[in-house]
Amino acid sequence: MGNMILQVQHLSKSFGTNEVLKDIDFTVNAGDVTSIIGASGSGKSTLLRCINLLETPTSGEVLYHGQNVTGPKVNAAEYRSHVGMVFQSFNLFNNMTVLENCMVGQMKVLKKNKDDARQQAMLYLEKVGMAPFINAKPRQISGGQKQRVAIARALAMNPEVLLFDEPTSALDPEMVGEVLNVMRDLAGEGMTMLVVTHEMAFARDVSNHVVYMNGGVICEEGTPGEIFGSPKRQETKDFLSRFRQN
Amino acid sequence: MEKLVQLGRDMALLWSNYWPAYLGGILSTLILALVATVIGCVIGLICGILNTIPYNAYTPKPRRFLLKLIRVIIRVYVEVFRGTPMVLQAVFIYYGLPYFSGNSMRFDSLWAAAILIVSINTGAYMAESVRGGIISIDPGQTEGAKAIGMTHVQTMTSVILPQALRNIMPQIGNNFIINVKDTSVMFIIGFTEFFAFHRYITGVNNMYFPSAAIEMIGYLCMTLIASFILRWVERRMDGDDSYELVQGDSLVMGEGMYAHPNRGTPFDEYSKQKGTLEKASDKERRFSSKGGR
Repeated sequence: MGNMILQVQHLSKSFGTNEVLKDIDFTVNAGDVTSIIGASGSGKSTLLRCINLLETPTSGEVLYHGQNVTGPKVNAAEYRSHVGMVFQSFNLFNNMTVLENCMVGQMKVLKKNKDDARQQAMLYLEKVGMAPFINAKPRQISGGQKQRVAIARALAMNPEVLLFDEPTSALDPEMVGEVLNVMRDLAGEGMTMLVVTHEMAFARDVSNHVVYMNGGVICEEGTPGEIFGSPKRQETKDFLSRFRQN
Repeated sequence: MEKLVQLGRDMALLWSNYWPAYLGGILSTLILALVATVIGCVIGLICGILNTIPYNAYTPKPRRFLLKLIRVIIRVYVEVFRGTPMVLQAVFIYYGLPYFSGNSMRFDSLWAAAILIVSINTGAYMAESVRGGIISIDPGQTEGAKAIGMTHVQTMTSVILPQALRNIMPQIGNNFIINVKDTSVMFIIGFTEFFAFHRYITGVNNMYFPSAAIEMIGYLCMTLIASFILRWVERRMDGDDSYELVQGDSLVMGEGMYAHPNRGTPFDEYSKQKGTLEKASDKERRFSSKGGR
């Protein structure tokens, strides 16, 4: 299958004596939309944060195009500029307007000039439907709007892969749709995405690969058809049936 | 009452005789306090950046040692200069340095010495204020900046410190006002600011109380004006509460401006609920559009 962007090998992470991730192995290919599902506390977010080096793995490796990014000689900032991240709590820069949020990374990290950065930012802000709000500060817009700006900010860096850490969990139900629509469009355009989510419909309909995590290990993975249609493990069946009841 | 009149008369007399000295003193006090506060802020910000350079298990040992050493040095600097009186620091630096270095390190200008002493003293306080300011910023802001590939210095200068600076503006104001008053201890190295002129003037004519009253009013005026200016700066930093929607292309639908596809058809529940009112306005619209043609 296609070219491998990210490989996670034997990744473990402990906070003190609490082992959150145990020997995780999986691969993200170009064009993949991978959904990571599982109960709260199963290590989904920690896995994503380890991939982006926001947490330091206790052992194991993360390979980006075959190169280890978890060693001592790695330029973490350089690596992160290729791997976008969208957070549960948006994390827009509060001291900047919507437009500046999408420009600052391009200018400081990619060293683009102001006009190019502005053009690129406007392109993606229009795509997520936030172009009219470029002069607003983050505190002045709604949660769904913030998350769409956060997606535009990540896209403006032209990342190779985009990580989503429960992007809709902090949103009111009526705002979930607008964010999921943006993500659906992105997936349709062939963006490589790794999505930690509780939106089972999104995982089933949009992604082409589903990873079910339980207790810090990958319990089962496969195509959405396999996981949602005929799960093999009892834990997966239990988890999914709980969701169907709701 | 008589006493008050007498006091007023003495103050007027002192002022008319010595006003150039008093005003000159006020000017030196203000310049010294302002310059030292600004330099102190810069020292505090640099300490804040150095103090928060992250390291983890992968950081090479020498670098980790260096980072820890920097933190220890900053800690010692803060504790020493915050924990000793500025008068003594002035004596130590102004007289001590030339003495111990055999006159190879001495101050040719009183201004340079005074600014140095007050600056490093303010810097020690500011380092702690900046640390508090940085702690007060949501860690998500740092993560957001890191996630788009910013380095530590870029994260600090573009995202964290601008927000921290806003939060510590009241502290900076505090420090400035303290400096306006505490620069008076610089008389110990012979620096002539506002309070020093009080000593000279009363030395000549023994009018202690009227001169002290003038000094009190002078200091209060300086600090009150400083307070007002600081409040104004804070309001400026907060920015406008409202913002302009940019609707360049009228075909682009912003939030809440979509048209439902059922609008105007028999399936239009919205118009049915509104009833006659809606129909009336529909008629009006049709009418006006006809009129427009």
